[in-house]
Amino acid sequence: MGNNEQLERFFDQMKKQDEQLEIPAFPEVKTRKFSFWIPAGIAASMAFAFLFIQKPEPIEPVSPEVVIITLQEDENQNQHFTIEESTFLETWESPTASLLTEY
Amino acid sequence: MNRSQLDHILKAHHRDAYLWARQCCSFEDEMAKDVLQLSYLKILEGQAKLKDASKAKTWLFSIIRYTAIDELRKAGKVVSLMDSYDPIEIIEEVDGTNYEEIIKLLPEMQREVILMVFYHQMTIAQSAEILQIGLGTARTHYDRGKKKLKELITKVQIQEEYGK
Repeated sequence: MGNNEQLERFFDQMKKQDEQLEIPAFPEVKTRKFSFWIPAGIAASMAFAFLFIQKPEPIEPVSPEVVIITLQEDENQNQHFTIEESTFLETWESPTASLLTEY
Repeated sequence: MNRSQLDHILKAHHRDAYLWARQCCSFEDEMAKDVLQLSYLKILEGQAKLKDASKAKTWLFSIIRYTAIDELRKAGKVVSLMDSYDPIEIIEEVDGTNYEEIIKLLPEMQREVILMVFYHQMTIAQSAEILQIGLGTARTHYDRGKKKLKELITKVQIQEEYGK
């Protein structure tokens, strides 16, 4: 920068003038840092609300799906049918099962 | 780099950073304060990351410059690149001690390179990095800016001589 005296003088004077400038204080910048606690709190509140606000669903009686018709014989040797309704079948006997045993 | 290290770097360069922000904002104090605040926010929020601590000043100046360009653009105060190459002549009389007004008469890129080199004691290579231009281009701006500023200073001195 050999031939720059004029410019160096100019900038020296400019810097002297700038010494009078009021420099703002270094700002205390608060960053918008992502916090783990915010989503965790939201999730916990939602879970809590879900547990307590949710109404218990009424248990609907199960409609009978099986009709069991049995032919029974009483002590007087009279036969009569009994009809039962149930949701499941405990035992099932083929209507032709007797053929296997009787013949 | 953690927050306290960044804080330390920013505090160490705070004065220079403010002066540079002011120079990038055509010496408007309020805009310079806003630009500096926005630049610090960008840094502390991690939008701008410092990879090499030895280049902290160059990095900070670069962020400030781009933030200032954005703010000037928002305020409609930015001149196009072509305009910045046009020679600027003194129209009115300028006080010889009004250094800011004299500097403002330089085209934008020349002004920035000259300020970085003569005012902030940076190298032309560092200026090129901040302006994100090639070293050759930065040298051209430096040479032209120097020549132009010398002419301006001489003109102002002559004006003052004749004015007396």
